[in-house]
Amino acid sequence: MNRRLTHAWLVLAVAASLAAGCGGKKRPPAVSTAPPSSGEPAGSLPTEVPPAGEPGPDVRTLGAEAARGEDFTPSDAETGEGGPLADIHFEYDSPNLTDQARSVLEKHALWLQNHRGAKVLVEGHCDERGTVEYNLALGEKRARAARDYLASLGVASDRLRTTSYGKERPLDAGNNEAAWAANRRAHFAVSR
Amino acid sequence: MEQPASRSRASSSPRRSDVTLVAVVAALVLARDSRPAQAPPSPPPTIVITGGFDRFALPDCVPRKGDEASREVCRTVTQVLRADLQFENLFKFVPPSLISAIPAMDPEVPNFTDWKGIGASVLVVTRAQVTAGEATVELRVHSVETGQSMLAKRYSGRADNPRVFAHQASDDLMTLANYRGVARTKIAFVSDRDALPGRKTKEIYVMDYDGYNPRRVTVNRSLNILPNWSPDGRSLAYVSYRRGNPDIFVASIYEGKSTDLTGDKGGGAFAPSFSPDGKRVAYASSRAGNMDIWVANVDGSSPRRLTSTGALDTAPTWSPTGQEIAFTSDRSGTPQIYVMDTEGLNVRRLTTVGNWNDAPSWNPSKQFSEVAYTARLEGNVFDIAVVDIATRQVRQLTQGRGSCEYPSWAPSGRHLTFACGRGGKWQIAVADRLGQTITMLPAGPGKNEQPDWGP
Repeated sequence: MNRRLTHAWLVLAVAASLAAGCGGKKRPPAVSTAPPSSGEPAGSLPTEVPPAGEPGPDVRTLGAEAARGEDFTPSDAETGEGGPLADIHFEYDSPNLTDQARSVLEKHALWLQNHRGAKVLVEGHCDERGTVEYNLALGEKRARAARDYLASLGVASDRLRTTSYGKERPLDAGNNEAAWAANRRAHFAVSR
Repeated sequence: MEQPASRSRASSSPRRSDVTLVAVVAALVLARDSRPAQAPPSPPPTIVITGGFDRFALPDCVPRKGDEASREVCRTVTQVLRADLQFENLFKFVPPSLISAIPAMDPEVPNFTDWKGIGASVLVVTRAQVTAGEATVELRVHSVETGQSMLAKRYSGRADNPRVFAHQASDDLMTLANYRGVARTKIAFVSDRDALPGRKTKEIYVMDYDGYNPRRVTVNRSLNILPNWSPDGRSLAYVSYRRGNPDIFVASIYEGKSTDLTGDKGGGAFAPSFSPDGKRVAYASSRAGNMDIWVANVDGSSPRRLTSTGALDTAPTWSPTGQEIAFTSDRSGTPQIYVMDTEGLNVRRLTTVGNWNDAPSWNPSKQFSEVAYTARLEGNVFDIAVVDIATRQVRQLTQGRGSCEYPSWAPSGRHLTFACGRGGKWQIAVADRLGQTITMLPAGPGKNEQPDWGP
């Protein structure tokens, strides 16, 4: 709850009006209809204009966004690259650890023995082939495979968390084997 | 059965001849039923035009004389209304060359003999005038045969986005034919267009169904993906990494509020999907250790796990009745589409062709019992396919556009959207449900993907 308040400004804002898009802070034309040749007052079509009131505590409007627009600083390292622990890589469409990945993880386990305060967020990543949803699930499996192996090497499980980015954060935006191989990875975001 | 989705406007499909226009003189009350009505409720003088000969004439919108602002509005109204109605793929049109061959029309008293002479059966007259930034657009629909008015409406509002008048007019014409129009619907999508250099952030956007007026919804500069509209079009569920971990949020986009659906409970939560009544959300979550399908109330209460095989289950989508859920599972070794009831029982496999079928989207119209999905049919390329639930017959909608994925139906079920591309270049497409006309939308800069077609 606290967390939510602290991150108030992060939370989504609202398109000032979606009814009839006219960009930025402008409001769309409100549309009303009426029979042309009758004396009746204008009929009421739903005019999708949002209330002009202040945004809620954790919501900003599109207009306010233009005025501010802070950058997002995640509470956890989630850069997807860099850090003291090298990425491990996977075969296409596989969450299984390769021999090479195991030997890298063994070094990571050693490093973690020597850096007792360090905690690790294991991020699973995928190449661009396959759907968004499937890759998110596959990335999760990859992260868990890496985590489980680290845990089996004696790293306390409360120092290890997992998440998945699927194919949403490729290292290499290329559309070729080399790019795909680089993107099929588990990344280790370390916080101390 | 089959909707008139034929691309050829010259040939008359069997269904098209069933399109019935119910003409109510100066009627504002339109039939609510989505089926072609046999008779309107109880209005005074009515006429019914049936048969395969309905040909729409859409002459240029008539602006107030000598007024540039009115001309400007008229140009947009003419162009957008024609595009909207052509997209609906329901009517035939008198070619513009024939329209320009007859004398200019007095919009007050059209000479119906002229229009009959060029084969029109329905005349759609639009006029516009702008006064002090306020536009008024008038729509009149006439039966050419009888000269009677079938529909008369006036729209007014600010003159700076005249497209909205045309969209409204198009939807009113569709309602007249007892169909649900798409012209005022919105598509939510994901884009990296506002990512700062070096930051791999994505935000949720909303645009008109034709790709115009994109507007940003989320502003948290994190990763925001997988938007899904509530059935009433007032909320968007989506996945955000704003806390570092993927969770589902529901944004009430007109009230300016957002709620946290899955909470910060560890494990990822993905792929939200509103039930047809808008009261529940199905999603995929690894909270219990494995990626499974869950259902919770829209406020996040009473989360319930529906699948519990060791397999990866994701991408739920509801049947139009809300009694079944289709989803992806790799329980057979490859990703395939399965169907279950909302208790998680009666699981059966829906796709049998191909070794990778994923990301199902159930057609929301009860008229079409079918599920669109993403299929790997050749090599490493993905395409959009649709499977008929009764016959299991599969039709492939896309081919040769790189990969296409993430299908989502329009509320009417007559059209769908998806994203196509490769590498960092993805754009959003719309198509009729048979895939005969596929249009890439002018979606703007950046990688644009994961479209969800809303009300």
